[in-house]
Amino acid sequence: MARVYVSSVINGRSDRVWARVRDFNGLPAWHPGIADSRIESGEPADKIGCVRDFRLRNGDRIREKLLGLSDFDLFCTYSILESPMGVDNYVATLRLTPITDGERTFAEWTAEFDCPPEREAELISNIGGGVFQGGFDALKRQFGG
Amino acid sequence: MIRIVRSTIIDAPTDRVWAFLRDFNGHDRWHPAVAKSAIERNQSADKIGCVRRFFLRDGSELRERLLTLSDLEQTFSYCLIDTPVPLFNYVAHVRLAPVTDGDRTFWDWRCTFTTRKGQEAEMTRMVGEDIYDAGFAAVRTHLSASSATEGRA
Repeated sequence: MARVYVSSVINGRSDRVWARVRDFNGLPAWHPGIADSRIESGEPADKIGCVRDFRLRNGDRIREKLLGLSDFDLFCTYSILESPMGVDNYVATLRLTPITDGERTFAEWTAEFDCPPEREAELISNIGGGVFQGGFDALKRQFGG
Repeated sequence: MIRIVRSTIIDAPTDRVWAFLRDFNGHDRWHPAVAKSAIERNQSADKIGCVRRFFLRDGSELRERLLTLSDLEQTFSYCLIDTPVPLFNYVAHVRLAPVTDGDRTFWDWRCTFTTRKGQEAEMTRMVGEDIYDAGFAAVRTHLSASSATEGRA
């Protein structure tokens, strides 16, 4: 089982950052790597079990299922149903926690998955350094540092 | 039930902050409110269930029991057993997490408790400011002092 952990400090209140990231269909609005997204079967994006079908800017298509969403604890958990990445049992969580001494947010993005051992380092680097850190860098820009 | 959450970012790697916090009997070396502390029955300070008996600078005596401690998660929790102030059912949790895009530490300190009617505001201020905020500030000061010492060496 491979594990990815990336965390960052976003210069905005957690309710404002959450409003940006909570929409399971909203990746194209804030993540620079995502070209477009739709929710299958006309379901609402906050219905647990709904599936998002999205494309990366490089053309790759990924389908992910919403497993958990909490407006109280500010986290979103999802799994990959279909992707060209070659990972199995992929489950990821994006979690926000308020930093109470200043209007800032601690953001954590974790993933666990199975893959062939020789691909593990490359996948951890692409997912952690590329997708997760790329998303946090974009949020930091959008919230001014 | 009153719930207090305080959190901050410390400009040091988690291992350095954890070295301060992990010792359940070590708060008299860094927290300005704590004068002296001892673990009862000669137990080790990382034995789950051990009790620390400590005195605040104002002379009041408290006892707290260690409920959980994880070096993997860099978390611990504890509850208050005896105290002269009206803090009842007090359970606190401490969590550290690395900020991976910068060598810093997220530190979250939270608790729930009940108190006597009319003393909610006073107890909330005491725990949040005198214990948690003051603890953050003290660890920050100690860490920068020890960094300066290392810099001279």
